[in-house]
Amino acid sequence: MKKALLTALALSLISGLAMADRLDDIKKNGVLRAAVFDSNPPFGFLDGKTQKINGLDVEYAEAIAKKIGVKLELVPTNPANRIPLLASGKADLVAANFTITDERAKQVDFSQPYFATGARFIAKKGALKTAEQLSGLRVGVDKGTTQEILLRDKYPKTTVVAYDDTPLAFAALRNGNVQAISQDDAKLIALLAQAPDKTKYEVSPFALSREYEGVGLPKGETRLVALVNETLVQLEKSGEARKIYDRWFGPKTKAPLARDFKIGDKTE
Amino acid sequence: MTPPLWLGQTWLAPKYLGALFSGLLLTAWLAFLVCLLATLLGVVLTAMTESRYLGLRSAARFFISVHRNTPLMVQVLLWYFGVPNLLPEEAMLWLNTPHTLALPLGLEPAWPSYEFLSAWISLSLYSASFIAGELASGLRAVSHGQREAARALGLRPWQELRHVILPQALAYVRQPLIGQYTGAIKNTSLTMAIGVAELSYRSRQVESETLLTFQAFAVATALYLLLILASQWFGHSQKPIWGASR
Repeated sequence: MKKALLTALALSLISGLAMADRLDDIKKNGVLRAAVFDSNPPFGFLDGKTQKINGLDVEYAEAIAKKIGVKLELVPTNPANRIPLLASGKADLVAANFTITDERAKQVDFSQPYFATGARFIAKKGALKTAEQLSGLRVGVDKGTTQEILLRDKYPKTTVVAYDDTPLAFAALRNGNVQAISQDDAKLIALLAQAPDKTKYEVSPFALSREYEGVGLPKGETRLVALVNETLVQLEKSGEARKIYDRWFGPKTKAPLARDFKIGDKTE
Repeated sequence: MTPPLWLGQTWLAPKYLGALFSGLLLTAWLAFLVCLLATLLGVVLTAMTESRYLGLRSAARFFISVHRNTPLMVQVLLWYFGVPNLLPEEAMLWLNTPHTLALPLGLEPAWPSYEFLSAWISLSLYSASFIAGELASGLRAVSHGQREAARALGLRPWQELRHVILPQALAYVRQPLIGQYTGAIKNTSLTMAIGVAELSYRSRQVESETLLTFQAFAVATALYLLLILASQWFGHSQKPIWGASR
């Protein structure tokens, strides 16, 4: 009798676990845990004035929490920890300049893109006008980035040298160890704005690729994915997405960048 | 057998194993050149520390002190990112342009990248300072009575060194030297910070492309272990030079 009761209890527990998905858990706990960058302006960074993490990605995470009707808890992350945080259940979603790739899509689910960048180059003025000139050049990239993978696959005659971060790659460019460096255009513009000898360099007129950033979600949480997508579409419709963009990349910002991608646009 | 879900359910594709293997070859080649140059420099430094001239002794001691008492990582970064700032722009341009050196037998060695060159120099200088220490203690381990006996037999200084001191000293330093060479192989992994595509660099690259974290680093670990065990086995299997008694 006792055994039968225990079995029934265990069975109901197991079925209960299988039924409730992450969205229910978030609603039950009243908290949405979003992994964001804390040192990657303007996507996610610690604001010196308010001592809080702020940025474009953070505003999207706030909008999603508001839509669900729960509090937002920010989990600071770096590029390498984004997938482990989702896989281990320490975060419900990742809004951290997360480029959508097929390899990553095997491990996590993505929302539709809410931001697009192009990978461009910084080189000495006039040195790099077309993509054909890349052959035979030494190009510096950040380790583990999509630029590193893409350049090696598409331009086998280009020597790719990977560094730990973009400032180090830029140091190698200024030393002459590489003739160009590649990164997202938004990051390159911000980097060049700070360089003391910025007049010697320029951002390439052509883009290496188009990349799309989406919200990363745990694998198989279909209701959560649908809700995030719905939120993104609404933000675009209401004009809120444009306002968020302009706060970080608009004409009045330090590194202005024209907005050429809207949520729901066709991807290449 | 496929790995469980939490390991991504696949092993590494041949393309990625190839990348790791090419990293292993570069690690082995770099480590070999480092051991070679470091040993030569180590002998010179040891000779300088044993010199009768104060200037030579102080210079060697200063060199050893600087290289032993600063982190290797900083030295690697200094040689790659720092030193080019001191060189004129033309020199850097020359160093970064591939050159061909035609050798007899139709050999045309590839021009090393500046990454490889600065890695070789910084690692060699570092290892040399430790090897010099091992060599000096090997010489000191030969008891003074041996030298006196050699002189009593009427041996010239060179004969004393060649037939009495070195055979014993080399036997003493064999183990510590193998240890230093093992360290030199492992130290090459630091050069991934300056873009040398050795084994550690390749394992990180494979990891970020496939996201098969465990597989990428496990294969790299196994390859390092193989390389180091093979080099240690080689070191132990060599017959003692000059017929040392131990």
